[in-house]
Amino acid sequence: MSSFKKYSQEFITKNLHFYLVDFKGLVVDSNASFMPRVVNKNITSIHPFFECFSSFADSLEKEIVFNCVHLETNEKLFITDVQFVRKEKEVLVVIQDFTQHYTTYQEVAQARNESIINSELIVLKNKELQEREEFKNSFIQNFSHELRNPLTSIISLTKLLAETDLIGPQKEMINFLLESNSNLKLMLEDVLSISTIASNKLQLQEKAFNLNKLINLLEFTYTAKAKQIGVEFSLKTIGKIPEIVEGDRLRLFQVLTNLLDNALKFTEEGSVSLLVSLNQTRANKANIRFLVEDTGIGIPEKDQESIFESFKQLNNCGKTDGTGLGLAIVSGLLQKMGSKIKVESVVGKGTKFFFDITFKIPLKTKKTVVSKNIDKELLSAIKSKNIKRFKLLIVEDDEQVQTVLFKVLINTDCFYIDLINDGSKVLQEVVNNSYDLILMDVNLPNVLGNHVARLIRDFPMDSINKIPIIGLTANVFNNQEKGYIKDGMNAVVSKPFDTENLLETILRHLK
Amino acid sequence: MSKSKKIVVLGHFGVGKTSLIRRFVSNSFSDKYLVSIGVHITKKVVEISPTESLSFVIWDLEGTDEIDTIRDAYLLGTHGALFVFDVSRPSTFQNLKEDLKIVTAKMPKVPVLIIGNKIDLVVEKELKELLKEHNIDYNFLTSAKTGSTVDTAFLELAKELNV
Repeated sequence: MSSFKKYSQEFITKNLHFYLVDFKGLVVDSNASFMPRVVNKNITSIHPFFECFSSFADSLEKEIVFNCVHLETNEKLFITDVQFVRKEKEVLVVIQDFTQHYTTYQEVAQARNESIINSELIVLKNKELQEREEFKNSFIQNFSHELRNPLTSIISLTKLLAETDLIGPQKEMINFLLESNSNLKLMLEDVLSISTIASNKLQLQEKAFNLNKLINLLEFTYTAKAKQIGVEFSLKTIGKIPEIVEGDRLRLFQVLTNLLDNALKFTEEGSVSLLVSLNQTRANKANIRFLVEDTGIGIPEKDQESIFESFKQLNNCGKTDGTGLGLAIVSGLLQKMGSKIKVESVVGKGTKFFFDITFKIPLKTKKTVVSKNIDKELLSAIKSKNIKRFKLLIVEDDEQVQTVLFKVLINTDCFYIDLINDGSKVLQEVVNNSYDLILMDVNLPNVLGNHVARLIRDFPMDSINKIPIIGLTANVFNNQEKGYIKDGMNAVVSKPFDTENLLETILRHLK
Repeated sequence: MSKSKKIVVLGHFGVGKTSLIRRFVSNSFSDKYLVSIGVHITKKVVEISPTESLSFVIWDLEGTDEIDTIRDAYLLGTHGALFVFDVSRPSTFQNLKEDLKIVTAKMPKVPVLIIGNKIDLVVEKELKELLKEHNIDYNFLTSAKTGSTVDTAFLELAKELNV
């Protein structure tokens, strides 16, 4: 044998093992390679894998291949391809050792499968968390909704009580109650806001509004607030800020008041400032930066991201009053408005919160597009009882709210009031009486208030279908106010309502 | 000498086929997931009664999310099969009916038991509701980790094959 043949033969046989087997499975011959050399024994004695031989031995026509078979012999594992080839009187079994090749394949498969399984588990986990979050938000919304009616009564009755003759300690107690009520209302609003944002139910009310007036209002309010705690407040505008812009005034106001309140809360000395600057104007859009800066205690760098999480309050000198939702609300609202809150802070020196918003500038900024001011003269006329009495129909099923409405309205001495508590009786009442206005809860038994409004608007008599209807609702989600207006209500007042606001709204719609 | 029966264990990857076999054959378990490629063959003698036993040659087939890609050669001469899914991963049982159709087409007349594995990871009541909702029929719910119902499933197959 030549050297070449000898060496190449050695190499070939190293990874190849042959068994020559008769049709009963008896090994006739075998080479000496990586598998045991067996002769005159049944092939099944080598490994249980070969028990399959009996199932096809008789029917084997040409050959059959088993890929990637794990064969363990003498405590050593080989990953092999096994080929059974039919010969004249025997079957040739060819075993090729591909351990190295298949081990590499196994590593690739391991990485692939682990990655797929992990992604599946993440998707499942996310789904579960999302379901929990939805349940939580829905629970908070329903619970808050239920809280609104009793809170309306508490706030309104406390205000009425404050107007009665009280002796010294009673006045103090009432003042304390008023302040606590106000805090409770704010906290409830915070919880409602965050759950509405989190459940993606918040819809922006984009309308034209006077941005200058909003800035002036903030300046007026926060100069006074800052003075109370011995801190300076300043407001500066840079560039030509458009007077009228289109956007959600209420939500912008909410963002800025949250940031300013927060700044005042954590500034014991020094100043808080609001800077409003025009970044750029293009076509009919203006990009405006709002920056709230304070000289307060500052936020450590490691906490600068987590402060925007719900219920997150840093351990700051015991100033942990409030819900801890302010910055989460700010972040959520700005995200909804297509903006993002940014923070720069140095511990002990102060903090800057800023964001940029692009507003549309309405082509015609007539004064009529901005909400009318309330007719203060008429309101004082109502309060001074100098005008004729109006006839009101109140439709409300909650006894506490009924009592509050009665007290508030009777107190003005301007109204004759009828009261019913069932939506199905409204039409009959308005046909049999002559009302100047209907004040109606939305969530009524039998027929919902907005459905009643629709029936009234469709009524074929002008004296009835033109009666102003003001809705009362504790359900302030999903932009439902618009729907109620579309159903025929002239205005909607949310519970818990502010007495002044309720009177103003009634007044605005009386002929 | 006991009769020899070839059993194939198949299903999607990561459902715990190898762990089930290891629990049945050597009563052991490892939390570490090691992907099986190709086929591993082990043997175990199963006592059906004090006088009867079967020798199971168990083929642990590489898991795949496309059952029709299983190599036909692996299924030659199969006497019984266990189709395993992972109760904690819906993707492994969402298409169970279609997967079983493929298995039955590849191995007509071979008894197939359906095993939902990893019940230690879920709440059994919720799982049963989920399976009912997905209209999933199964024979056994097992846990290779705790050993729950593993022997029962293999023994049931042994009894079916001994008829």
